[in-house]
Amino acid sequence: MSSVTIRGVKKKYGAMDVLHGIDLQIRDREFVVLVGPSGCGKSTLLRMIAGLETISGGDILIGNRVVNDVPAKARDIAMVFQNYALYPHMSVYENMSFSLRLKRMAKDMIDRKVREAAEILNLSKFLERSPRQLSGGQRQRVAMGRALVRDAQVFLFDEPLSNLDAKLRVVMRTEIKALHQRLQTTSVYVTHDQIEAMTMADRIVVMNAGKIEQIGTPLELYDTPANLFVADFIGSPSMNFLRGKLEQGAVVLPDGSRLAASGQGAAGQAVVFGIRPEHLALATDGTGLAAEVEVVEPTGANIQVYARVAGMPLCAVFTERHDFRPGQTIHLIWPEGKAHLFDDATGHRLQGGAN
Amino acid sequence: MTGKLKRSLIYWAILSPLMVVILFPFGVMFVTAVRPRAELFTYPPTWGFSEFRWENFSEMWVKTNFGGALLNSLYVSVAATAVALLLSIPAAYAMSRYRFAGKGAYRTFLLMTQMMSPIVLVLGLFRLMMSLGLVNDLNSLVLTYAAFNMAFTIWMLQSYFNSIPRDLEEAAWMDGASHLTSLVRIFLPLAVPAMVVTAIFTFINSWNEFVLALTMMRSSEDFTLPVQIYAQVAGRYQVEWHHVMAATVLATVPVAIVFSWLQRYLIRGMALGAVK
Amino acid sequence: MANRFQKSVPLMMILPGLALALAIIGYPIFDLAWTSMQDVSRFGKLTGFNGGENYHEVFADPLFWESLWRTGIWTFAVVGGTLAISMPVAMILNDDFHGRGLARVIIMLPWAISLTMTAVVWRWALNGRAGLLNATLMNAGIIDQPVEWLATASTAFVVEILVGILVSIPFTTTILLGGLSSMPQDAYEAAVVDGASGWDQFRHITLPLMKPFINIAIVLNVIYVFNSLPIIWVMTEGGPANGTDILVTYLYKLAFRFGQLGKAAAISLVMFFVLLAFTMLYVALVSRNDRDDAAPEEEIKA
Repeated sequence: MSSVTIRGVKKKYGAMDVLHGIDLQIRDREFVVLVGPSGCGKSTLLRMIAGLETISGGDILIGNRVVNDVPAKARDIAMVFQNYALYPHMSVYENMSFSLRLKRMAKDMIDRKVREAAEILNLSKFLERSPRQLSGGQRQRVAMGRALVRDAQVFLFDEPLSNLDAKLRVVMRTEIKALHQRLQTTSVYVTHDQIEAMTMADRIVVMNAGKIEQIGTPLELYDTPANLFVADFIGSPSMNFLRGKLEQGAVVLPDGSRLAASGQGAAGQAVVFGIRPEHLALATDGTGLAAEVEVVEPTGANIQVYARVAGMPLCAVFTERHDFRPGQTIHLIWPEGKAHLFDDATGHRLQGGAN
Repeated sequence: MTGKLKRSLIYWAILSPLMVVILFPFGVMFVTAVRPRAELFTYPPTWGFSEFRWENFSEMWVKTNFGGALLNSLYVSVAATAVALLLSIPAAYAMSRYRFAGKGAYRTFLLMTQMMSPIVLVLGLFRLMMSLGLVNDLNSLVLTYAAFNMAFTIWMLQSYFNSIPRDLEEAAWMDGASHLTSLVRIFLPLAVPAMVVTAIFTFINSWNEFVLALTMMRSSEDFTLPVQIYAQVAGRYQVEWHHVMAATVLATVPVAIVFSWLQRYLIRGMALGAVK
Repeated sequence: MANRFQKSVPLMMILPGLALALAIIGYPIFDLAWTSMQDVSRFGKLTGFNGGENYHEVFADPLFWESLWRTGIWTFAVVGGTLAISMPVAMILNDDFHGRGLARVIIMLPWAISLTMTAVVWRWALNGRAGLLNATLMNAGIIDQPVEWLATASTAFVVEILVGILVSIPFTTTILLGGLSSMPQDAYEAAVVDGASGWDQFRHITLPLMKPFINIAIVLNVIYVFNSLPIIWVMTEGGPANGTDILVTYLYKLAFRFGQLGKAAAISLVMFFVLLAFTMLYVALVSRNDRDDAAPEEEIKA
């Protein structure tokens, strides 16, 4: 087990910059999730750690060793691929033991390790099967088993759950997390699914367009997103954004409504007021922000209300049941300290927030 | 179900004239190959004959030096296939797995060589082989067949290689395998079926080639089967047609059976990219 | 990583094959170009530069023009006939019916057999005295006298064209089948829902989507048929009286019968340029298809 240090790492394909100088310190035993929209460079970064992509600039260290020029096979890293990459002409047992056989480990040692890993992953019954006789979830487990037997320094996961159906994905998510708690192997996990990131990570790295937007624990990202991108990306449904101007401790919306806010900023500055749908509540006394209901979507556990405020869309989630009709005006309030304030021009969070 | 039955009947009815014409030469071949010599030129001509004369085949084998030509054809086809595959496998692998400068130009070059026909170059090829001292040497055919088939074999192999996921090799590297190990233990075992199919088509192409064999092989002991059979027909005052047909049966039927068994791979290969 | 070495790996993999192709296919072209501008003895000795005299001779030769004209007819008739038959055949073979596997095998059969053998068998089947085609037609009462099919140039040429069509059908059908099997099924379902008849579906979906495959089938067939020697050579050797000569048979006779090597080289070069033009067309068609295919792939990677 080992830390991973990434210092000023760049990637260019010809004239195209894919990564613009990434700095990231992954601590020993930590489970770090790289998350971002497709094309943000997260998979490229993972493949560079693995040694499957060359590095155009900067350094990658595993432990204290610079591995820029170390080929993949000598990095002592295990990886779980998106499409599992199981060797189709080998049985499950052969798949899992391949790396150990390459190392010329003693036969009985290999056997013990493979059976141990199979036991952990519930694969003992399938060791003689070929990959094509397995279900998607079982293939996924074999791919993990192949990594497990290795006692590698670092585990890499490249969107390992994206080929599973929604139910199985939730199960495997929990299994991977439990496995990490048991083995404590340093892990880097790539996904585009923010819920996966939130539920699994010790720390999340949010990436966008070849840059890191924010690094933090799941709750840090949820509570204090550094900018509009992170605020929008983390949380579901997404945070509501209301654009307005800062005036004497309040955000003034185009229709003149005033939202109390205590951000640092010049008077008249264009700002974005952010509030998460689950933090909105219904005002009983007719005060609060007026919103016109457009669509109501019950999910069973809660209802999601899509409404309009000063011409801007807004979503609210209520756990209690309400009987709203389209066209109806409702009044919304939120607890102190739950609102966010961002600079409209730069997208950065304005210190002090709003309330 | 009845809809499918009706459709089947209509389709077979539409296809039957074409099938009759396709099968007609095979009928001619068999019927002539087994009839007694005296019944070759009966008048009026007829399909019927008095007895099956299987001795025609053994007579033909001796008289036409079928065995010698068969060995020549086998040698040329096997060697040409081996050379073509040996050179094509690395090239197809490079085309399938690497990005490199000049890839587009190389692709175009392959397409052009695929289109170049031996007949247009036959005079130049003859002069080349002459200067190399390879006229009347079966190896001249080995080299030319390998060269003319290579575009096809590279296409075919590349389209199959593309269907072997790249991440299998990457997974092997992560498992600690060198490039060579991953090639030998992961990639090649998976590519075997593609290589076998490609090899068989190259073999058949070489087996059937006529123009170059006719040109390069000037003495009869070097003839390959198509040339040998042609020589039994061309410029002769009296053609022993029952022997010629017996030879044709022996030379074509095994190849036709193998080909029929493999033709679906050809369709698949074409759909995968050889033509697309 | 050892970047320079890494970069040279794919080139090293390509190089041996490229070298063979350049030697066997590339070099003869230059040799032909060179030879075509020389006086050449019967035995292949170059005896001196003669400028364009060989070309003059070729273009002044009525047999060349006749062969060229006949090559045009031969190519057009065989390719046209092949396509007209292969399209419906491919559509049938693409549909599901009893015995489809057997039907495919039979239709593909001529491909397995060397053109030489096919031509030899037909030469015998068309024999004027004892040929079994005559036997069949007489039994059926279509003719009452045996016909000397190959004795006159006009009938011989027609018969050769028909055999040419027959042997071109398997390859063409294969290409078209490849296209048909990649046709999007949902487009047809959408069309049925939109109320399209079978003919409408063919005209508005099948035909436009098949166009690239039809184009490629045409160009490839033109190239193959234009170059095809064995059928005519084995059945009539361009005779009787040069009446079935096309460019390739004429070229072959000049080079290996009459020893007019300079003239033969000149014709080879003319044919090479015709071929080159068709090849360019083919390359353009293929790379256009490649680009269409490549676009979504790139997006997935990014």
